[in-house]
Amino acid sequence: MKRVIEGSHAVAEAVRLAKVQVISAYPITPQTHIVEILSEYCANGTMNARFLRVESEHSALAALIGAQSCGVRTFTATASQGLALMHELLHWTSGARLPIVMAEVNRALAPGWNIWTDQTDSLAQRDTGWIQIYCEDGQEVLDSMLHAYRLAERVYLPVMVVLDAFYLSHTYEPVDVPAEEDVDRFLPPYKPRFQVDTENPCAFGQLVPPGAYMKMRHNIAAAMEETLRCLNEIENEFYEIFRRRYNAVEAIWCDDAEIILVTSGTITSTSRLVLKSLRERGEKAGILKMRLFRPFPLAVVRKAVAHAKKIAVIDRNFSFGASGIFAQEVRAALCNAPSRPPVFGYIAGIGGLDVTAELIEEIYWKTKNTTFPEQESIWMGI
Amino acid sequence: MKKGAEGVRGSQCIMERFLRMSEANTAIPLFLPCSSTSTESNKTGSWRFLRPLFDEKTSPCSAACPAGEDIARIEMLTARGLFKEAWETILRENPFPSVCGRVCPHPCEGICNRREFDEAVAVHTVERFLAETASRYDLKPKLEKLNAKKHKIAVVGAGPAGLSAAYFLVYLGYACDVFEGAPEPGGILRWGIPLYRLPLSALRNDLSHIEAQGVEIRAGQKIRQDFIREAAGRYDAVFLACGHSHTAELGIPGETLSTVIEGLSFLQRIRQGEITSLPGLSAIIGGGNTAIDVARSIIRLGGRALIVYRRRRRDMPAFAPEVQMAIEEGVELKELVAPLRIAAESGQYVLTLQEMEVSHEDSHGRASVLPEEGKIREIFVDRVFKATGAQPAETWFKPSGKEGTVMTMTNAMLVYPGKGPVLVFGGDLVNETKSVAHAVLSGKQAAMALDTFFQDGMNAILPRLRTCVVGQGPALSMETYMGGPRRFRNPHIISHEELNIDHFQFQSRITQPRLLREERLVSFEEIDLKISTNLAIREADRCFNCGICNQCDNCYMFCPDIAVIREKDGELRRINYDYCKGCGLCVVECPRNAMTLREEEL
Repeated sequence: MKRVIEGSHAVAEAVRLAKVQVISAYPITPQTHIVEILSEYCANGTMNARFLRVESEHSALAALIGAQSCGVRTFTATASQGLALMHELLHWTSGARLPIVMAEVNRALAPGWNIWTDQTDSLAQRDTGWIQIYCEDGQEVLDSMLHAYRLAERVYLPVMVVLDAFYLSHTYEPVDVPAEEDVDRFLPPYKPRFQVDTENPCAFGQLVPPGAYMKMRHNIAAAMEETLRCLNEIENEFYEIFRRRYNAVEAIWCDDAEIILVTSGTITSTSRLVLKSLRERGEKAGILKMRLFRPFPLAVVRKAVAHAKKIAVIDRNFSFGASGIFAQEVRAALCNAPSRPPVFGYIAGIGGLDVTAELIEEIYWKTKNTTFPEQESIWMGI
Repeated sequence: MKKGAEGVRGSQCIMERFLRMSEANTAIPLFLPCSSTSTESNKTGSWRFLRPLFDEKTSPCSAACPAGEDIARIEMLTARGLFKEAWETILRENPFPSVCGRVCPHPCEGICNRREFDEAVAVHTVERFLAETASRYDLKPKLEKLNAKKHKIAVVGAGPAGLSAAYFLVYLGYACDVFEGAPEPGGILRWGIPLYRLPLSALRNDLSHIEAQGVEIRAGQKIRQDFIREAAGRYDAVFLACGHSHTAELGIPGETLSTVIEGLSFLQRIRQGEITSLPGLSAIIGGGNTAIDVARSIIRLGGRALIVYRRRRRDMPAFAPEVQMAIEEGVELKELVAPLRIAAESGQYVLTLQEMEVSHEDSHGRASVLPEEGKIREIFVDRVFKATGAQPAETWFKPSGKEGTVMTMTNAMLVYPGKGPVLVFGGDLVNETKSVAHAVLSGKQAAMALDTFFQDGMNAILPRLRTCVVGQGPALSMETYMGGPRRFRNPHIISHEELNIDHFQFQSRITQPRLLREERLVSFEEIDLKISTNLAIREADRCFNCGICNQCDNCYMFCPDIAVIREKDGELRRINYDYCKGCGLCVVECPRNAMTLREEEL
């Protein structure tokens, strides 16, 4: 049924439809609307789930690690400082192979205090072993959440579904909220491959010798590699039921594009308009929308940009002392590729600054009019 | 899984088992460490260099209580509804809970650590509640007694000190006879304290328990000085606690007029029912509790009362809340005036007063006063009361020093004449502070001293008393003396800073329900009313239980090694040193400092 809802509510509806059993979260703007609705659902019986109130994000994730270890489906949501506080347990979750799903609303890190969107919080967690999916609109948020549970429970790795603060979390859009029975067909109840069982007591995650530890880590790396294949399978099944598909990346008009803009989050939507306008004027532009960030879809990225002359990566984030993080990843992906178009790095929309169509077009022209990037990062709108 | 060879092998990595579990998932690698062997073989206690101990310490209230009551424990038991056990805990140290719950100035509350947090615990209110509950259900205390001894002891004076001495001596195994000149026992409690503060039934509650323990009270037997000589052969010791029943001389003209009345004897006559009305204006000279009692009694007898005091209100030795209530009830107070003379004039009396001024204050803030030159005034009154300090009625009530070898203790004096009975002087005759609780201390000290004297001789007394001191003293614990569990209590007194206040919540102190002022003015009914059980429990629950374990089990909850062991159906907590790593979390998280962290001896 089509409803006009916030991006936050799209997350909450997905959690309801996924029949999550344990939710634990600590409120933080701009994540609050997600857990507000869910706490109501738990209180009024819409969901048959336990909502664990905790004193911090660290405890929220710790509580879920316990719950998930007992073989139930779980959910948490956070943003910014909250995610930073969870850091230690992010590593634990993936190391313990717990398929926890989290909604992460991109918000700038303090100081100065800033509640607006910025991807540095989630991208800074790229090495924690979590799968990361970046969403463009409300529908994609809802669908990605459902993908996330299937994916997590398939590969035994946690998934972070990421959405922009306010531009997505607090914006009302028409979203097709699927029927419960359809979701049930796509997402059956969680059947854990291992769990804490009082009938058969055992301990997980205890001391291991270096050799076993290295094998465990290698095992996680292998699971990450399997993720790309699994996502494709899962999306096929999803498409059969819901007729929607997103893929790890979306290559828009890339086949004949000379300049490809690499975008993520809501900037992609604006870029689509710019692209249409540029194409109408005969410009050979394209967009590569990054949806899956971890595992990084190396092959499809290489393939999508193989024929481009230049690449312009728009980063709403920054790794101090290096560059925008998407730019880093794209550069790294192309390093050993047969064709290596120059990668221009643009920093835009930091701390929630609006990334307008004009700004995106400026990026396009800047790229077109420059032969080779003179610096790693160009800060736009400063 | 059994311990031993398999256990030592420790962790095993499982993977294949899981991989085979689901056909559809065979491609997804899942390699996880999982162990079903116990970690018990890893005795983490070997890492420890700090050792936490359950080390119960002394609460400031119990050290401040002259009777040395184990208040922290009394409140803990009350909060749990264990009223009989709480009441017995009082009775181990004080035979007068019903009396002290009413008339004690409760120094315990003045030093309560909870004052730093919100308000002191209403210890006296809980004490009175326990005494009343025991009385309502006619409870019989079950207290430990030592084996019978051959010595027999006479006690002269059935006031709080004499009765306490007899009560404790009975517990220590001695036969005791108490001789009292008045027709009923109780001393100052029976004859001196007005009914609105201490109803007769309240006193009789305590007296009946004292007698039930085997104390023989012989009232109406006035003792003369030769009793001591005659006691030889019949008694091995005599405890003299004859109290102060004589009002001191003012030393001014007109003092001997018939309308100048002694405060103490006036109170006694009211208690005997001889005075039922006293209209007109009465002047009361003095600033102690007797002056206040007299003034408030006069108000109830339909008269006006004017207290005349040579220093300031704040210098009055009377307990401040009593002064406050007297003022509320309409007692007038004239500060900084000293009586010069009393004279009869046309059916009334003229009291001539010298106005005084403060010359300086001593280190406690008490004023020294000097007459203000030329400032003399006269007031007309219907009668004058003297309440300027009490003295023993007979000179032999006090030791002269000629009786024999004298040993002075904090609240009693032991005199060994070499032959005949040993004498111990106690109560108001030796106590600096005259309160019921101090009288209990005096009686307790006398009982301990006599027992030690008979068992181990004179020289053993002071060292033995030192082992029974509560905190820094002078309070003594009879439970400790008799070898009870309280003897393990560390004498260190817990300060507010030594508590972990994070574990407590604000909760306001109980408001003592009282008679309305209007009701108070027309009767001698007890002013403080009873409180309900749930209020008593709530008040007792406010107690921090400083220094003692109340089984809150914070130690158990916080121990990362599950090394705190809770004994089922018991108060005991133990530490399993096989696994305790000595992190000290239990000690830090103990809200009441009932634990200590010590360095391990290498």
